[in-house]
Amino acid sequence: MSLKIAVLVKQVPDHEAIVQIDADGTLDIEDRYVCSFFDEIAVEAALDIRKANADAEILALSVGGKRSVESLRRAMAMGIDQVEQLGDDSMDGADGLAVASLVAARLKTFNPDLVLAGKQAGDDDMGAVGPMVSGLMGMPLVNAATSIDVDADGGKVRMTHSMNAETWTVESGFPIVITAQKGLAEPHVPVVMRVMKAMRAKITNTSIEDLGVPASDSTGRLKRLGYYSPPTRPQVQMVSDVNELVAVLAQRGVI
Amino acid sequence: MACNEIWVVARIRDGQITQAGLQLVGAARELAKEKGLDARAVLLGCDRAAADDLSGIVDKVLWLNDERLNEYDAAVYAGALLGLMEARGKPVAIFAGTNDMDSEVIPRLAAMCGAAFASSCVKIGWEGDDLAIRRPIYGGKVYEELAILSRPAMVTVRPGAFDGAQKLAAPGSVEEISVEVPASSGVTVVERASSAQGGQDISDARRVVAGGRGVSGELYRMVEALADTLDGAIAASRALVDAGERPHGQQVGKSGKTISPDLYIACGISGAIHHVLGMNTSKVVVAVNSDPDALIFAAADLGMVGDAKEILPALAEAIRARK
Repeated sequence: MSLKIAVLVKQVPDHEAIVQIDADGTLDIEDRYVCSFFDEIAVEAALDIRKANADAEILALSVGGKRSVESLRRAMAMGIDQVEQLGDDSMDGADGLAVASLVAARLKTFNPDLVLAGKQAGDDDMGAVGPMVSGLMGMPLVNAATSIDVDADGGKVRMTHSMNAETWTVESGFPIVITAQKGLAEPHVPVVMRVMKAMRAKITNTSIEDLGVPASDSTGRLKRLGYYSPPTRPQVQMVSDVNELVAVLAQRGVI
Repeated sequence: MACNEIWVVARIRDGQITQAGLQLVGAARELAKEKGLDARAVLLGCDRAAADDLSGIVDKVLWLNDERLNEYDAAVYAGALLGLMEARGKPVAIFAGTNDMDSEVIPRLAAMCGAAFASSCVKIGWEGDDLAIRRPIYGGKVYEELAILSRPAMVTVRPGAFDGAQKLAAPGSVEEISVEVPASSGVTVVERASSAQGGQDISDARRVVAGGRGVSGELYRMVEALADTLDGAIAASRALVDAGERPHGQQVGKSGKTISPDLYIACGISGAIHHVLGMNTSKVVVAVNSDPDALIFAAADLGMVGDAKEILPALAEAIRARK
């Protein structure tokens, strides 16, 4: 049986990009975008699985406008041949359920054995899309996997992930949605040749209409009220003696 | 069908309501009162003692006393909660923790009932009749505030955002409810290994002692000893996890866990932004570092410059003396 793997990717600001709130209350994000950290791990994990299952078919999907194409080019440069953009820039900023609905519509025709995604995206850090796709597809879910061991012939997959204070090893049949945690795979830097090739590649797009999903209306579910600066801590109080430290901690009621 | 309730998905660990669970109930009671709603704790599985415990802090416990819910299965839990909604009506909101289980169950459930989901909330209030939540985005560089218009409003809440619920003057009641429970999703647990020596999950600990490069190898013992004295959990920076010295489940930071204990003691941690984003919602932060210019001091309330080898045992001793 040849395995079919779908990988979900998203383009987000680099973790070192400057993000600040403008005077008019909107966000000013430095123009440094990359494929999301955990999504690249998911891409690499899919490639790792293909190393042991040479006939595995991998399809990378990204929802949104121009930026989503960039994350697909990254996935291509890393070694994925089949990529597809879902929807258009009307989906940029859509909520997790709107994104998951488009993905689920596409997966119904692709019929994957494994769906891989980052455990959360580096922009909204929501952690919604992977679990939501599992809910919409009625597939089992394993979040934040740190290892995946596929037995394609046996039709099963073994994974480890953190479950509160424990590490669980779990086993499941196909299909399943797995989200990637750090440590699952080490994303490699693609070679220049492949980057060039990916830059020139024509990226397939499937429209919201073709997917047969009602136009996204996440505004009916979430309404942004504003942005706020992170809470700041007062100037540090330096102490030179442990007894002094303990006295302050006791006074603050934390010991 | 809707009901005028706020549900808290209660987590019990080692026979006790978790600290995060107490805070969720506290939040639900407070927010329900403002709008004339009822706060309810939802308990999955046949744990009579837990149901009784919960009734000490909430007017009514909705107890899904079904042995098929004794073992965790994300799909089964989400399905059972959906079943509860069908039996009782959609609540106004569902609160759960940011723990590994609810991070699977709640967004999955949200998709199943066509509702929005918001994770890692640090603040919850009302915007008219809608829940308004505040949560960090872009790794904590800014916070967003969202109104959740869909019902139920489903959120996971970070520990530390609310005070734990106080005991009720008169205990609440326990209502046993049987709901449709879906078949297992087919994910079977092969092995469960304790990943946090001492058993405490850093996400739920009130006191956390974390070590970085400055306390690697043998020196980490002193971190463990101090945590022991404080009855706290041990954690680590990325440096120690990447070096293979500490398990990933103990990593604090952007690529690890985000925690908000009452007390966070950073030992020998330089304070790179990735680390700080994982702990800057802690109530009181103490930094111990030999480098007076270490970035960690900018993220701390209290700082001590010096050799961890001397400071940590002395600190543990001083705490013991105080007890």
